[in-house]
Amino acid sequence: MADTDMPPPSSGWLTGVREAVPLLGGYLPVAVSFGLISTQAGFSTVETLAISALIYAGASQFLFVGMIASGSPLWLTVALTLLINVRHVVYAPNIAPWLPKSRWWPWLMHGMTDQIFALAHSRLPQLPAARRVGWFFGAALLAWLSWIAGSLLGAAAGEWLTRRWPLLGEVMPFALPALFLVLLVPRITSRRWALALGVSIVAALLCTLTGLTNIGIPLAAACGAFCFYLVRLPAAAGTGGGKRR
Amino acid sequence: MSLELWLGVIVAALGTYLLRLLPLLWMQRHLKRRDGEAEVDALPKWLVVLGPMMIAAVLGVSLVPRTSDPEGWLATVVGLGVTLVVWRKTRSLGWPVVGGVLTFGAVVIVARVII
Repeated sequence: MADTDMPPPSSGWLTGVREAVPLLGGYLPVAVSFGLISTQAGFSTVETLAISALIYAGASQFLFVGMIASGSPLWLTVALTLLINVRHVVYAPNIAPWLPKSRWWPWLMHGMTDQIFALAHSRLPQLPAARRVGWFFGAALLAWLSWIAGSLLGAAAGEWLTRRWPLLGEVMPFALPALFLVLLVPRITSRRWALALGVSIVAALLCTLTGLTNIGIPLAAACGAFCFYLVRLPAAAGTGGGKRR
Repeated sequence: MSLELWLGVIVAALGTYLLRLLPLLWMQRHLKRRDGEAEVDALPKWLVVLGPMMIAAVLGVSLVPRTSDPEGWLATVVGLGVTLVVWRKTRSLGWPVVGGVLTFGAVVIVARVII
């Protein structure tokens, strides 16, 4: 892909870093938990870091180390890890129209997590095209490094940390729902969107409460989309696209 | 970790990466064929709807507090309320999150002292 007309990814990266800071509140406590559980399951610190850096997908990593520790067949562990991560397939196509030509995108896709997608889906359409590669680079890199750093912290000192500051691990993850709420509110442009998004939120919440967290995301999104097409309320003008704002 | 296990990590990592990358390449080819259309119009309609629904689903999943007791749920509701109020006032990304997290923490502490 030619990228001669594009500026280097340094343009806008600082904005990306700054706007991804709220994600740390959710990433660090979960990564610390992963580091702790991974070492308790018998993985070394280096192995834990390798899993976090290479697979880089929260829920599936917990599943991976848990299944290996319980003696599950490797092929089944890998298959279920990938199955959990299948939800990622809809993320990149959703933001593709706002990705200017650049040879960086294939590499940057490693950083496409649930949270980075949510942030990018809202912010990329608002940014000038010249700053989008840099913005994504900054946001994704901060999230990735924080995930690795949290895993290292958890592997090296997880038990001590959770004993010393138990409340911190409980309060910091609230940064994620707060951030997603802020990203979602501007999308409620009509009663039809409000209803469909509400259905999606409630369905995901119910799935999580019943232990179906991983299937919950695609399932709840499908419920919301189904509701959107099923219900035709007046003033259904919202399109959900980035040109709205 | 045995060589076999390392291979398992690499296959899982590569597979996850391809799940993220291949749909992008497919979409970029699709967009190239429909060059000239407005950004949103070039997207399949179902994808335009599914994007915000995925964000809503991620929100729903993250709503369950770490400690799922009445204090945790109360703090979640109040925290979300404060997040919304701060967003309405500032229309920014960071301050509503800071306000929400601080409120969540304060409510958890106070509620556990009182209840």
